[in-house]
Amino acid sequence: MSAPTAAQPEANNSAFYLPDFCAARTVFVIVLIGQLVALVLTLASGDRDLDFWIEHARNAAFLLWIGIGTAGVLCAVRKPLARLSIARASALVLALIVAVTALISELAYRLGESFTQPGTELGQLFPIEHGPFLLRGALISFIIGALALRYFFVTHEWRRNVEMEARSRIHALQARIRPHFLFNSMNTIAALTRSDPQKAEEAVEDLADLFRANLSEARAQIPLKEELEVARIYQRIEELRLGERLKVEWRVNDVPMRALVPSLLVQPLLENAIYHGIERLPAGGTVIVAGERNGDMLRLSVANPIPVDPHPREREGNRIAIANITQRLELAFPGRSGIETTQTAENYVVTLTFPCVELP
Amino acid sequence: MSAALKILIIDDEPPARDRLKRLVEELDECQFVGEGGTGQEALKLADELKPDVILLDIRMPGMDGIEAARHLADFEAPPAVIFTTAYDQYALDAFETQAVGYLLKPVRREKLERALAAATRPTRAQMAKLAKMSPAGARRTHIAVRTREELKLLPVDEIRAFIADQKYVTIRHPAGEHLIEESLRSLEDEFNPDFVRIHRSALVALRHIEAVERVADGGYAVRLRGSVESLTVSRRLGGELLRRIRARD
Repeated sequence: MSAPTAAQPEANNSAFYLPDFCAARTVFVIVLIGQLVALVLTLASGDRDLDFWIEHARNAAFLLWIGIGTAGVLCAVRKPLARLSIARASALVLALIVAVTALISELAYRLGESFTQPGTELGQLFPIEHGPFLLRGALISFIIGALALRYFFVTHEWRRNVEMEARSRIHALQARIRPHFLFNSMNTIAALTRSDPQKAEEAVEDLADLFRANLSEARAQIPLKEELEVARIYQRIEELRLGERLKVEWRVNDVPMRALVPSLLVQPLLENAIYHGIERLPAGGTVIVAGERNGDMLRLSVANPIPVDPHPREREGNRIAIANITQRLELAFPGRSGIETTQTAENYVVTLTFPCVELP
Repeated sequence: MSAALKILIIDDEPPARDRLKRLVEELDECQFVGEGGTGQEALKLADELKPDVILLDIRMPGMDGIEAARHLADFEAPPAVIFTTAYDQYALDAFETQAVGYLLKPVRREKLERALAAATRPTRAQMAKLAKMSPAGARRTHIAVRTREELKLLPVDEIRAFIADQKYVTIRHPAGEHLIEESLRSLEDEFNPDFVRIHRSALVALRHIEAVERVADGGYAVRLRGSVESLTVSRRLGGELLRRIRARD
């Protein structure tokens, strides 16, 4: 039985960059873009036969129709669009913009043809040539449409990044040590204070180091060596409490210790392995922390034995811890990290894969 | 002078036990009688040593403290129970509402004294409610049966079937058959995904079904691991049984 928990895509809506074209704000932005384009066209044309303001009024009216038409069409098709890939959706939207422009150009031409005489003052407001007029419109709308889509895409990505960073900070806060561990350690120290003062002293030092690492700037990337050191300190404290029941095997000789990792990557996994595995087994067991380098990728895994019947509510806690590490890995190595959990009847394994970026 | 209060200490962590033991030994009129590291040991030792009070850790491997207290409540003369915990938010809420004695680790001497003075025996209703609120749920890992000589704890995983018969329910277990005073209905509710009702009077462990056989009249019968005789499946429940077996594979 295997349950890979790849980085979950965000809910469809937030990953889709196109704004809601039905919203008044977006319609306003589109109309504004249209009016700016109209102004540019008028400024660029320099037609001496026509008054500047009349020409601009014509262009503005024409582009207003295109803007409103485009917004209307995109409003109607947004839902099915959101199901497509970003590349396809963008291509389709661009095609729709060109089609709307062509349609409105055609209408403008027909209108001029049937209601006005060429050469009259009113006739000047309508296009004279048919084909070239349509072609020019299509090309301009294609270019402006592409620029507008790019603008929407960039602002969306920027907003998403800000959100993800904020979320990742919160997750890092949540990744901090369980209160359960703190109070149990205090109890162990209280017991050792009299029976073995030297051990008690070491335990206090270890606990201090552990909390210092835990309370440091959560976003920081640290060398793997430091992260493993934190995990080992954690192991020492837990050994005092669990005695013979806890054994940890470190198979990390082949990984570069200078590789950078988000802080609190291994320690929470070891904590989970003990909390959900070792601690719940009367005879305890061995946690295996293994690492290997594979080309320019690193693989780290934490494996632990589990009891036959894990408590459902506790599994939930584990899921949250995994989701949170996934998020932080994703932020550190966008699109290049993976996390996989495998559960058999007796074992639970979490495997992290991410690029090996070494300290200079 | 009245007899000293006999105290049993149960915790899976040796340093935690040592500390409680020392605290208890320092108190007047208290006598440390034994220690253990699992819920099963709590029950065995309570049965043998007849302590007045058990200091019982909640989070332990195997059978946890809440389940142990639930079995204790079924004792004829249960010892008083004081739960100990380092940190369990849900448990604290539960203890407050059920007015059960508890201590937070590291335990303070004065609080221990006060708790010992106020310790009460667990009642069935109280413990059943506590169990419902615990993360393990109301589901027991063991069923306690009392034979003439001793208290036996049957792991639920090993039980083959519960067979109802008039007033009692018989537990079929590789080590023999035992009678308990519980209803088949409540057992079915408690052990639901792992046990399936095959008859008005039979609840069997899905994991121990070795074969489902066709019988002469077109119905089914179930043969359980390590058993030669078959249990009849009632016509009404045959479909459900097959569906559950398939869902397991």
